[in-house]
Amino acid sequence: MPDKLASPPDRIIPVRKKSSGLAAPAQPVTTGGFWALRKDISAAAMIFWGLAGIATVFASWWLLTWGDPAETRFLSPAVLPSPGETFAVEQLRELWFDRYLLRNTLSSLQRLLLGFGLSALIGVPVGVFCGCFSWIRALLNPLLIFGRNIPVAALIPLTMLMFGYGEQQKTMFLFIASVAFVISDTANAIGDISQRYVDTAYTLGLSRRQIVLKVLFPLALPSIFNSLRLLFGLAFGYIMLAEQIKGPGDYGGIGDIINQSQKRSLREPILLILMLIPIIAVIIDRILFAIQKSLFPYQYGGGGTLNHLVNGALRLGEDMKSLVAPRIAIADFDAQRAATALTPTHSVLDAPASNGAGTSGAISAAPPEGKT
Amino acid sequence: MSSAPDPSSPAARVSAMLPHELQPATTLPSVTAPEVTAPVPAQPVGMGAVLEHPHTRAEFSVPPVVQFKNVTKTYNFGESNAYTAIRDINFVVPDLPDKGEFVCILGPSGCGKSTILRLIAGLEPQHPATTGEVLVLNRPVAGPGADRGMVFQDYTSFDHRTVLDNIVFGLECLGVRRSERYARGREWVKQVGLNTATDADKYPHELSGGMRQRVAIARTLILKPRIILMDEPFGALDPVTRMNMQDLLVKLWRDVQATVFFITHSIEEAVFLGDRVYIMSNAPGTILQELEIRPADKPAKEMQREPRFQETVAYLRDQISQLEMGKD
Repeated sequence: MPDKLASPPDRIIPVRKKSSGLAAPAQPVTTGGFWALRKDISAAAMIFWGLAGIATVFASWWLLTWGDPAETRFLSPAVLPSPGETFAVEQLRELWFDRYLLRNTLSSLQRLLLGFGLSALIGVPVGVFCGCFSWIRALLNPLLIFGRNIPVAALIPLTMLMFGYGEQQKTMFLFIASVAFVISDTANAIGDISQRYVDTAYTLGLSRRQIVLKVLFPLALPSIFNSLRLLFGLAFGYIMLAEQIKGPGDYGGIGDIINQSQKRSLREPILLILMLIPIIAVIIDRILFAIQKSLFPYQYGGGGTLNHLVNGALRLGEDMKSLVAPRIAIADFDAQRAATALTPTHSVLDAPASNGAGTSGAISAAPPEGKT
Repeated sequence: MSSAPDPSSPAARVSAMLPHELQPATTLPSVTAPEVTAPVPAQPVGMGAVLEHPHTRAEFSVPPVVQFKNVTKTYNFGESNAYTAIRDINFVVPDLPDKGEFVCILGPSGCGKSTILRLIAGLEPQHPATTGEVLVLNRPVAGPGADRGMVFQDYTSFDHRTVLDNIVFGLECLGVRRSERYARGREWVKQVGLNTATDADKYPHELSGGMRQRVAIARTLILKPRIILMDEPFGALDPVTRMNMQDLLVKLWRDVQATVFFITHSIEEAVFLGDRVYIMSNAPGTILQELEIRPADKPAKEMQREPRFQETVAYLRDQISQLEMGKD
């Protein structure tokens, strides 16, 4: 504590306790109310407005297709069936039972998982290499530019010629259509990690392999996962294209239901499937986002159950590794540091641990004293 | 490998290098660094002394910790946009037995302070120097290593690791046993003034800027580097936090006995922390002056009240403003 306090400056203005009663500035600008700019609304209000939006769409649909004899309708049933016709029980029953909606949907999802999973499995490691080594990126860049800009529909005939009409073609189509995006996004995620982290890691003595595995990849992982989630949504949109042709003896998938309905001029199933696809996509997206939040609590906050599991697995991995390659004892580390120092070191901190060092405390009669 | 330690006591070695005391013991009771054998006595300033010229190799008998020999760094050498960051830098930082030294590099923005630091660290693109030699313990710097730890200005906490995992990162990568490295890590959590119970398992995003720099300091010091390089580590902190961090640093570095290179453009910080201060000129940077300063023996808040401290600060401020006006 200082002996004397510093003298005050020339004048200290006392803090006012009471308002001096000055008039408020005239004509304040209005900021609140219904038209408040960029103001957050409550969750209930958000749900209300969301439902209002849906209701508006359905009301317009109902009005446009309303009329007892079909001829009096604003839009003829050949263009757009009415909501009542679309959601009729027999329509739903036919879709579910006669056209195997569930099994078709599941087989579509299975193809998606297979094709996109392959994309992630190959694309992420390749992308990491691209992000870490500019020459690999330059090597693959022409291919990636080609892959990202190719019209997806043009891949259909090609993959059919190459892989036939079965599952293989559908998987490979989804793979080819998405892998270039996965590689590019992963490479960008690695490239976006600030060089400061790499520099810091170098000065901590990490090898390049350790920097890739313990710094660059983990730091880029939240961004990579986010890209994969968004690209999965994109790939979901390709299902229709992938399922152009139903293979022999398998379920055609929801894409095939649409194709068949179009051939038979059935509008209602098409509309129903069109509404179903975004719903499934949103559900999957939310599930993936929940996984993402749980994996990376340091990005999104929260408990991070999956993050704990991953860390536990990494610890287990280290324990397994220590069975093969023995770990270093901290005393060995201290001894090695003491031996490589030019002058004998004497540290308050490692006094209890550095008995094996042999050189500590031998020189200085009066060790440098700390502060009072 | 460096030479074996001198068997004689450090005091004897220092006095052998010192022909005379520069200052009366009353004003400079604890000058610890060896003085220059200059023909004219150094000019006393406040709580320090201005040396006639930066130290040269010939003035020391032991291998220096860091030595710069005519180091020039030109980016884009030979191209139209060539830019010389530092020119003909020459200095020697002696190895002080059992204690190390705190070297502050002070200078206007963009004068190549960071270039010097990163040349010592061996980090690209500053490394390697265009001409000249950068020697650490008499060996040319070949690349980065854990013997030269670095703390950066922006908080480079590894976001995916908890405080404890950040601190033990270097030990983990060396392959130190988990229980032992965590035990050592917890000691360091305490050492840098964080709470082992509440802070150790937090992620960096839950910490304030000052706390993150504490983590960065612990992460560097736990590896017991021979040289600690600090690139404006407290530049982004508020004044009160900054003073606390300065006190923490003074407390810690005496324990780890490393030579610290500390870049700052705060004159008060340099005078408070530094045993030795280099003043650099505008780009292309050269070292204009070297000062020796009495080591800090009080907390920053009290130290900064002392007239001698303020005199030194004023002297340095005049020097730097002269440089910036281009008079020098």
